[in-house]
Amino acid sequence: MSLTAHGVSAGYRGQQVLHDVTITIEPGETVGLRGPSGSGKSTLVRVLALLHRPDAGHVTLDGTQIDDIRHRVPSSRRTQIGVLFQSPRAASDPRLTLTDIIAEPLRATRQPHEQRVAELADRVGLTADLLGRRPHAVSDGQLQRACLARALVHRPAYLLCDEATTMLDASTQAHVAAVITDEQHQREMGVLLVSHDTTLLTRWADRVASITQQ
Amino acid sequence: MNALLRVEDLSVRFRLRDAVVQAVTDLNLSVRRGELLAVVGESGCGKSVLAHALLGLLPANATTTGHAFLDDIDLVHCGEKKLAREVRGRRIGLVPQSPATALTPVRTGRTLLAETLREHGRDAALATAIAADAGLDDTDLDRYPFQLSGGMAQRLVTALALASDPPLLIADEPTTGLDRPLVDHTLDVLRRRCDNGDAVLLITHDLAAAERVADTVAVMYASRIVEHRPAASVFKTAAHPYTAALLDALPDRAFQAIPGHPPMLTALPAGCAYAPRCPRADQQCATPPTGPVACHHPLVTS
Amino acid sequence: MDKRDVTPAAVIGLAVAACLLVPVIWPLDQSAVALDNISQAPSLTDPGGTDDLGRDVLHRSLYGLRVSLLVGVVAALVATVLGGLIGGVAGLLGGWTDRILMRVIDTIAALPHLLLGIFIVAMLRPSLGAVVLSVALTHWLSTARIVRGELLSLRTRPFIDAAITGGASRARILTRHLLPHVLPKIALATTLMVPHAVWHETALSFLGLGLPPHLASLGNMINDGQRSLLTGAWWASIVPGLVIVTVTLAIAALAARWRDRLDPRVRAELEL
Repeated sequence: MSLTAHGVSAGYRGQQVLHDVTITIEPGETVGLRGPSGSGKSTLVRVLALLHRPDAGHVTLDGTQIDDIRHRVPSSRRTQIGVLFQSPRAASDPRLTLTDIIAEPLRATRQPHEQRVAELADRVGLTADLLGRRPHAVSDGQLQRACLARALVHRPAYLLCDEATTMLDASTQAHVAAVITDEQHQREMGVLLVSHDTTLLTRWADRVASITQQ
Repeated sequence: MNALLRVEDLSVRFRLRDAVVQAVTDLNLSVRRGELLAVVGESGCGKSVLAHALLGLLPANATTTGHAFLDDIDLVHCGEKKLAREVRGRRIGLVPQSPATALTPVRTGRTLLAETLREHGRDAALATAIAADAGLDDTDLDRYPFQLSGGMAQRLVTALALASDPPLLIADEPTTGLDRPLVDHTLDVLRRRCDNGDAVLLITHDLAAAERVADTVAVMYASRIVEHRPAASVFKTAAHPYTAALLDALPDRAFQAIPGHPPMLTALPAGCAYAPRCPRADQQCATPPTGPVACHHPLVTS
Repeated sequence: MDKRDVTPAAVIGLAVAACLLVPVIWPLDQSAVALDNISQAPSLTDPGGTDDLGRDVLHRSLYGLRVSLLVGVVAALVATVLGGLIGGVAGLLGGWTDRILMRVIDTIAALPHLLLGIFIVAMLRPSLGAVVLSVALTHWLSTARIVRGELLSLRTRPFIDAAITGGASRARILTRHLLPHVLPKIALATTLMVPHAVWHETALSFLGLGLPPHLASLGNMINDGQRSLLTGAWWASIVPGLVIVTVTLAIAALAARWRDRLDPRVRAELEL
């Protein structure tokens, strides 16, 4: 049981940014990943999230090799991996209210959502007043809380955080970390933390892997 | 008193369709020559609005009251013409928040820098030296903005802001999205300006950045400055309960979030805005506190 | 509603009301002539004057406007459906499909579109349908480009990635995230196309390729009016000309203001 990238190389339009990287996230553990900008950290997250096809190597999810990406992966597998992106603004549909943003993955898979959304909104600290607003009317910190709730809504086995707290103030960052840690205590969720902040990784992650620029 | 910038009772309001946003309230601060003042606070506290208010760059639905004296010019009341001709880019430089959108895509860094230098009556040949000062290689200057990485674009906008050699530099979240080495480099550039006698107003949510370079720190919470003291004292012995709680949230400290939420800027309480989240609050906090530590029950008294 | 919307909205309201009500309260016999009343200057009884066959210019202009608006709106709608479908296929499938479709569009766009329109009507019998088809077939390109461009840029936005990891199907992403962003832009493009289509219809009629000459259409009237210009009866051309300029400007003005409101850079509320 694990989410693993085996010898993954990947890039965009022939330009390879990731070379033969192997990384494993076990259930319940928090893996830190650090590296300079341009070292392909975000690309690795996209490969692990089954959003980007690697040029070489492959991803296994709980022992099953996944050879497809995006919609070709069955929905039930996709929802086992949650992603928290760096920019909450880019990662939320500007037309939806925060409630709809959190509820959308459940609606998309035809599951009841009201109770789950209320529970998660409470845990990430979003008040009823904020939940009715659209992204442009809330701060980055508030929007990232909604994105965290959305990432957890399917109870994913693995959560990938791509510089997800870099643009947040210290208090919101600590809160996001606390919610994720709490979720790990409730059920064995594996977490990948991509960040360039060594202090943060030392404090939050169980172990830290490095990726170097080629 | 040797203040380069004196802000007195500055308030900024925005009229929205159904509400008034109180983004900056009765703000007082001063910046001396050679001082690096960091304004810190969480997103939405009004710190970025402060920077834009000083440069007269607020949208039309904003009302600014009070004064902001840069030497003898009142930035609030001097009018757009004077701001455009004498202040922006000349007496106050701005390092903007998102470098990618601040650069003309059809000019190379060198052309942009040379144009700016000529505009300010300086030798265009200084471009290389200024770029180097901002940490940009001479060869990178010949690239177009879209060929630059985020870090290089950030160094280019910093170089552009430095090109006019302004006595006051406002840096609005200049390190967002940069790696730690680049963050440190950018901060060191700002620090060097202050060591050479110029002043810098650094707007940031990154407390570690403020700790690294600031002489003085102003902590903003819900549109007001709640603590304005020398940086060393703020980080060692925070006086305002909010500052203390914010510092406690850092990963190398308690890594503990502040319970509750900041108030909405459309419905600020009459008294201390932090009182609802504050363990030390009592009836006294219903009246607004004042002073460099805006608290009725500060953690330390100087 | 904004103050600046009032004038164009009023003009469009008046034009639509005229199109709907004039045939009821003031019917026109298209083939009637009054040779005892030719080329009369505008007066209280004939506010638009009469042409060289003694026909009331204003009355016929209002009838012409009916035809022009009908052709403009229907042609714009047909062009939108066509452009939306082709742009949608290119933008959703991408890859080779997209490349081939875009080259086809580039090729058609390289031809002068009025010439192409003339070619199309020339192949058909002059009728309202032929004019609509000619205008529609020459105006769908821009819509296809808009739809394709929007879809391609939306597809790479992180919120689409987030929806995919959330388990959304292709259909769900299309209906929930893509169409709601594209539809307002399509509607806007359609509205901006109406004045253009009206002008195109007028140009075809002016060249004698549009509606049969005895039917009142603005293009026919401006064309006929040329004869009167030499005799000093300027109104026979100017009145239908003013009608088309006023109405199309009003539509374009309203659409332009609508576009400004859709543009997030203009609309952007302040971020603190």
